[in-house]
Amino acid sequence: MKNGEKNTGCSLAELPIGTKAVITGFSPYSREKKKFADAGFVPGSELQIEAYAPFGGLIRVKVMETSMALHRDDAKCILLKNQEVNAHA
Amino acid sequence: MPDKFRIALAGNPNCGKTCIFNMLTGSRQHVGNYPGVTVESKSGNFSLNGKEIELIDLPGVYSLSSSSPEEAVVFRELTRPGIDLIVNVIDSTIPQRSLYLTTQLAELHIPMLLAFNMSDDARKKGLKFNIAKLETYFGSPIVQTIGNSASGVKALKEKLAEELDQLADHGVPMLSYGQDIDEAISEVAGEIDSLEISEYSHIPSRFFAIKLLEKDTCVMQIDKFKPAWETVDEQIRHLADKHAIEADTFMADRRYAMLAGACRDAISTTNEKRREVSDRIDLVMTNKFLGFPLFLAIMYATFWFTFICADPLMGYIEEFFVWLGEITGNLWDPEVMPYLRSLVIDGIISGVGGVIVFLPNILFLFFAIAILEESGYMSRAAFVMDGVMRRFGLQGKSFVPLVLGFGCTVPAIMATRTIESERDRKITIMVLPLMSCGARLPIYALIIPAFFAQKYQAFTMWMIYLIGVLVALIGARIMKSTLFKGDGEVYLMELPPYRMPTLKSLLLHMWDRGRMYLHKAGTIILLTSIILYICNTYPEKKEFSRDYDTLIEEAAQNDEIISSLENAQHAEAMEYTVSGRVGKALEPLFKPIGFDWKITTATIGALAAKEVFVAQMGILYSEGETDEESEGLRAKLVKNYTPLQAFCIMLFCLLSIPCLATLAIIKRELNSWKMAVIEAGGLFALAYIMTFIVYQAGTLLKIGTTLIN
Repeated sequence: MKNGEKNTGCSLAELPIGTKAVITGFSPYSREKKKFADAGFVPGSELQIEAYAPFGGLIRVKVMETSMALHRDDAKCILLKNQEVNAHA
Repeated sequence: MPDKFRIALAGNPNCGKTCIFNMLTGSRQHVGNYPGVTVESKSGNFSLNGKEIELIDLPGVYSLSSSSPEEAVVFRELTRPGIDLIVNVIDSTIPQRSLYLTTQLAELHIPMLLAFNMSDDARKKGLKFNIAKLETYFGSPIVQTIGNSASGVKALKEKLAEELDQLADHGVPMLSYGQDIDEAISEVAGEIDSLEISEYSHIPSRFFAIKLLEKDTCVMQIDKFKPAWETVDEQIRHLADKHAIEADTFMADRRYAMLAGACRDAISTTNEKRREVSDRIDLVMTNKFLGFPLFLAIMYATFWFTFICADPLMGYIEEFFVWLGEITGNLWDPEVMPYLRSLVIDGIISGVGGVIVFLPNILFLFFAIAILEESGYMSRAAFVMDGVMRRFGLQGKSFVPLVLGFGCTVPAIMATRTIESERDRKITIMVLPLMSCGARLPIYALIIPAFFAQKYQAFTMWMIYLIGVLVALIGARIMKSTLFKGDGEVYLMELPPYRMPTLKSLLLHMWDRGRMYLHKAGTIILLTSIILYICNTYPEKKEFSRDYDTLIEEAAQNDEIISSLENAQHAEAMEYTVSGRVGKALEPLFKPIGFDWKITTATIGALAAKEVFVAQMGILYSEGETDEESEGLRAKLVKNYTPLQAFCIMLFCLLSIPCLATLAIIKRELNSWKMAVIEAGGLFALAYIMTFIVYQAGTLLKIGTTLIN
């Protein structure tokens, strides 16, 4: 694993608000990848965590300059590379 | 003979497309910030330089794939022959996302005109476009517009007129997806060409080749392309093996890569990225801890606005109908067709008037909701509430329809169209009637002040509403785990920037929904009032058990005796009528829940429309004015029923089917009589069982079982 790269699921669901990360791909368990891809969740896109909903469940992220809400379970399947950490690589 | 053209308006949700549609056609549509306001496509007409143009406002979509019913609709409309030009509206403040759809539209090789909308906002953001470069890239002319002003749309009109004169000369986009994929596309396109499918001859094979390589559901369903599938699979394998490319997402991948390149090349930002106002507001609105309390506060404000502010208006309407009744009574000679006269005054004017009285309430509620929707807050509300709603088998998008249900179930059910998941939609529709609608208000307003002390009145009302909500949530949970098991859809919702709604669009929005309520009043309730009036007065009893007329004469000045005689006479007459007989016949069925034959009759009438309940009770207790303000009626109720019975009446009305209009809408939206019948039966059983439990328990525990007077 390269410095800062997170390849093992459970990525998007746990980052602090304000984190920026770059998408590297989808886990094999993800559902309806195409729907996300169409919305801009493609490898190379930058993603910013904006908010976590109360009562668990939804996460709000900014991707392709638009705010989108998605479910935690689906977020877990989006693989990321944390940009800040990688800056030191 | 003017030239006729058919133009399609396409773009992302929230790009201002509908605003432009309104500007061009002058027709009324609403601008909703909440995703997916409608699935049906709308069309309008306008003329331009002597040309007749039919403009079709396609649903807002992010892509031309088949992820949603809206996308399927757009796909179908655009691949069908007959579209002369596409006007693609782009939110130019977010070009990279907005142009994604454009890349797919461009592949259709249908003449296209790009409208870079919200250009004022883009300028403020510091974006500069190299229009010439972008035009070459997409093979289409570009016009900058500001959708919500006439001047902002002028340039669009001019360019449009120009383009329509030279349709045959339209440019061709220069889009490359990377050599590896371009090769695969050519292979498949060649195969499709050889199939010579005539109905799609107006669309280049490349378009379908790309879709097939993506395994797009809509295109896969077209049998004519089946012979090409072998080549397609071959190419997909080839791409996977040789270039390590994943089939379902590579096109999206490449398109965005293309766009990134194009945008870098032709768009520049001069401003630094500052936190926009919208995002700042959202720091609190979607905050993990503040989001929910703020939401509750906003909901409370909405209700306060709806009920308190609308109150005085309701008074005026009431007075109007009373006046109308009197005038009609005065102008219409009692000797001329007396039966019809009573029917009109006591049946129609009372009945329909009783419903129209609530119009201010309904309109104010819809206005408040229009503000929430158009400003963009609704998606935040869905975001905050989704977690809670999911625990009960619903989801965030169910939220708006449920709130609308407090006004009127009919438009609320129509609002469930925004819920993509069929299953979630069904569940929401099934529990919607439990949101205590405006029609039930007269019942509460009649009973609560009569039976409960002032300090408990607001609380009791609140309790009733709460019970409705709780039963709805529990019901949804149960349905989710039993009847409608299975995985939900994948949830992905945009939270568009906040926007200041215009008064005009708010009023249009409000009126669109309020209109449905009036329509309901004009038709079903009118009809029901007439039928019920006839059932209430026919057959007429001619011979009574006592000679009332003589007895009344003898009583002379003694008002009390007169009125009790009149009441007795009336009661006897009532029992003789259709309503009375049905009520008496069904009485044994309803006795266990505390209803006597009069309440039974009223309840049956109320099955048609809840508002009718109060009217019926009034008639049965022979009151002249049959609304919930009648002191007389309230006093009579208190004399005849215990508080427990009163509560049971309200409970039963809360839980049973709201009205025929609701059933009709359920049948229409779910496309099945079976569901509507199940809903009716289910709610009736629910109401009966719960009221039974409450009544029997109350009787056993002796709560509220004594008459107040």
